[in-house]
Amino acid sequence: MPYHLFKCSQCIPEREKHAVIKGVGEDISMALPLGYLNTIPGTISERGCAYCGAKHVIGTPMKDVIHLSHGPVGCTYDTWQTKRYISDNNNFQLKYTFASDMKEKHIVFGAEQLLKKNILDAFAAFPDIKRMTIYQTCASALIGDDINALADEIMEENPDVDIFVCNSPGFGGPSQSGGHHKINIAWINQKVGTVNPSIDADYVINYVGEYNIQGDQEVMMDYFKRMGIYVLATFTGNGSYDDLRAMHKAHLNVLECARSAEYICNELRVRYGIPRMDIDGFGFEPLSASLRKVGLFFGIEERALTIIEEENARWQPELDWYKARLMHKKVCLWPGGSKLWHWANAIHEEMGVDVVSVYTKFGHQGDMEKGISRCEEGALAVDDPNELEGLEAMETLQPDIIFTGKRPGEVAKKIRVPYLNAHAYHNGPWKGFEGWVRFARDMYNGIYSPIHQLSLLDISQDEIPTDKGFVTNRMLSDADLSDEVRNDPNLRPYTGNYDCVSPLRNKVYPEFPRKEKEVSVA
Amino acid sequence: MTCEILERTRAGIINPIFTCQPCGAQYASIGIDRCIGIVHGGQGCVMFVRLLFSQHFKESFELASTSLHEDGAVFGALNRVEEAVDVLLMRYPDVKVVPIISTCATEVIGDDIDGVVRKLNEGLLREKFAGREVHLIPIHTPSFVGSMISGYDIAVRDFVSYFARKGQPTNKINLITGWVNPGDVSALKHLLKAMEIDANLLFEIENFDAPLMPSGNTVAHGDTTIEDLRETANAVGTIALNRYEGGKAAEYLQKEFGVPAVIGPAPIGIRNTDTLLKHLSDMTGKPIPESLVRERGIALDALTDIVHMFLADKRVAIYANPDLAIGLAEFCMDLEMQPVLLLLGDDNSNYAKDPRVKALREHAYFDMEIVTNADLWELEDRIKNKGLKLDLILGHSKGRFVSIDYGIPMVRVGFPVYDRAGMYRHPVLGYQGATYLAETMANTIFTDMEYKKNKEWVLNVW
Repeated sequence: MPYHLFKCSQCIPEREKHAVIKGVGEDISMALPLGYLNTIPGTISERGCAYCGAKHVIGTPMKDVIHLSHGPVGCTYDTWQTKRYISDNNNFQLKYTFASDMKEKHIVFGAEQLLKKNILDAFAAFPDIKRMTIYQTCASALIGDDINALADEIMEENPDVDIFVCNSPGFGGPSQSGGHHKINIAWINQKVGTVNPSIDADYVINYVGEYNIQGDQEVMMDYFKRMGIYVLATFTGNGSYDDLRAMHKAHLNVLECARSAEYICNELRVRYGIPRMDIDGFGFEPLSASLRKVGLFFGIEERALTIIEEENARWQPELDWYKARLMHKKVCLWPGGSKLWHWANAIHEEMGVDVVSVYTKFGHQGDMEKGISRCEEGALAVDDPNELEGLEAMETLQPDIIFTGKRPGEVAKKIRVPYLNAHAYHNGPWKGFEGWVRFARDMYNGIYSPIHQLSLLDISQDEIPTDKGFVTNRMLSDADLSDEVRNDPNLRPYTGNYDCVSPLRNKVYPEFPRKEKEVSVA
Repeated sequence: MTCEILERTRAGIINPIFTCQPCGAQYASIGIDRCIGIVHGGQGCVMFVRLLFSQHFKESFELASTSLHEDGAVFGALNRVEEAVDVLLMRYPDVKVVPIISTCATEVIGDDIDGVVRKLNEGLLREKFAGREVHLIPIHTPSFVGSMISGYDIAVRDFVSYFARKGQPTNKINLITGWVNPGDVSALKHLLKAMEIDANLLFEIENFDAPLMPSGNTVAHGDTTIEDLRETANAVGTIALNRYEGGKAAEYLQKEFGVPAVIGPAPIGIRNTDTLLKHLSDMTGKPIPESLVRERGIALDALTDIVHMFLADKRVAIYANPDLAIGLAEFCMDLEMQPVLLLLGDDNSNYAKDPRVKALREHAYFDMEIVTNADLWELEDRIKNKGLKLDLILGHSKGRFVSIDYGIPMVRVGFPVYDRAGMYRHPVLGYQGATYLAETMANTIFTDMEYKKNKEWVLNVW
């Protein structure tokens, strides 16, 4: 597995060890790109900062919390309304953001009194919200404001409020990943164990590393509820602050995004003896295996099997319709941290596409290890990619579609590569059985877009076809299909609704008989 | 009937209207040809600003970071500026202009970006990049001062003051647009062409609306050249459309090179566009042509169709960049609308003294409030808790939930607009912009009437 030095990076040879090509018959023991090292300045890397990793990725999806950043206004503004982590409480966390608005005089004389007044004014503006997270920024870290002491003082004076402090300035680590770690550890140190609700349920889990992007968490909650499993807290998508203070009361931590949230699972295991189980909500097979695993843990595997059977019957014909049309389409799987390994094998097996490249902006070597293991031979794996390397890779690999962030997606558009938003999704949720079909549908719509086809035509040079007033994606996707596949009566394209999440909020679930003689976990 | 001018008294910001200074400097720098800015600070200061630009324009823009990490924050990070310049120049052989844009973090730790630029000029550029034209321009934009508005103003001045050189007088004028959209630049160029005036546009960003070409061009970029910037010193005069976004550069050119400056007003609405044409005509001696009389007539005809039947007496709240917000309020007055709330979102003390603000205060025949150092809670709190009744909101996308949650129709205007398609393509400047704005306001109100079944039948016979 030779290292790969991009032409555009020959002048910075240290980049060579950040990219490898997975050779035929090779495995990750032969080479692994370096990861989670300091960024080379001036490369136009795609990385964000540790503040955003803490606040934007993990902190803010908590839904019933005033999210206050202690610093100048920009950190707050810039990370506001750039993601799709929804909630079932009318999206408070999406709509409102708070900045202490630090100015020059505060830099000189300190900003603790400013912050105190901020905290009180914010609670006054939202009298129904009694919980707050305060995020340190570069500026407040450098002037050394003691936010923790101030939070303690306010909590003492106002017993009905609770404040969590996250000290993760933007410069704290090579990427947003530094912030993931800091907020995980800060939460368990400060908040876990500070409330002790009585829980009357047989099977109690925390759902960890799940951020409810376009409703992912709510889709997965549906399965857990159908299994009679009580989800005590979600870290953090659609999660409630006080629920998360009681994480220590769960029987099991079910972990989705290990990159951003394995730290708290590991600490819960060490401190409270709660086992960690890694699961995967993406892909029929990984999701089925995950539900079975969770069922097995509690001795209720048959409940998982029932769900799997129902969901497969409902959605497999639709997934397979897309698979037949996506076979061997080339994909660049370029997400942030963990989706490269959540998706790499699953999209190959279940949607038929070939992953020709994986990259990770803030992943560690462990993420690469898993990602490279699961992608196709010959694939290019890149750590901390930058603008020119991304372009060079796309020009070399000629992918049919890439999955990446909004801004790099615009770069791809210009070289006429369709993109799907790997962070926020196009028309998600993409988790769950139905969600996975939606992902396939979005991919299909991207690749077979008639407008995309038009962008490949140069009217000044190419032969202009004049025989058609329109083309449909079906005409493009089905042109080379055999009649047998094209007319397969068992297959059909997606039949779900535009919004498949809201109806879940009013769904009534069956009650399961309680375990005999089981004492409540409270 | 009073118009009060207030300042936010609450500590802190709930839902900001503006972001911080480095964003403004970055917006200015992407307007320059062969320019990639390096932001000296944490990576988020660039990553999120690039995202913001791409949300608004649906394009990607190139900006680099020195990637300040923990060691740099403790021991100083000037070495990372040096490395960033080296790496950027090696990998982007066409780049000539490299502003070094500071942030709160690097200003607090006291990194001397002026010093490192001198060092690089004498060292790296001479030794490694000899013969290559490279301009390193330190721009100080600490995030804890001003806002993206002042950051933009400072950056434009710094670019102009760096490049402007006295030479042969030209017959061009400098037209400093302020923070506008490609559609506005097209509208301005259209006016200039009609007047047969040559202008240096700061900045020529028409190509921010970049095409999808068979050849696969990769990034949207600005087209103002070093030569354009250099020649600003030799122009007939400068017109800065916005006082707070480009005014400093106009003043600099006047003071340093005697280039007469006219600052404002932005040509928002018919009256302000008339004023711009007068300024252009006075500065160049060129007459206002018949074609613009006709264009103005088309606009007036369109406005007459909607103004007293539909727009009159409508109560409007406005938040936007200050010159835009003030211009919109003025236009609303001409349209018989009532701009009852005007939010100016940073702590610039000059807003209260601005003659346009004074005029609004003097002539408001309805209760009006102007809030400086404002945030979007100043708007929402008034609606939610203080009984403010509105028919329309004019502002950017960050306030979209105020419109959605309180059922108040909203016209997206300014920056950023990411929840409506293609808005950057439509001008708000000039006669065309006036027509677009008024008709969009009317159509938005019409849609709301239909959605709420509020006298929607009125439109049957209009």
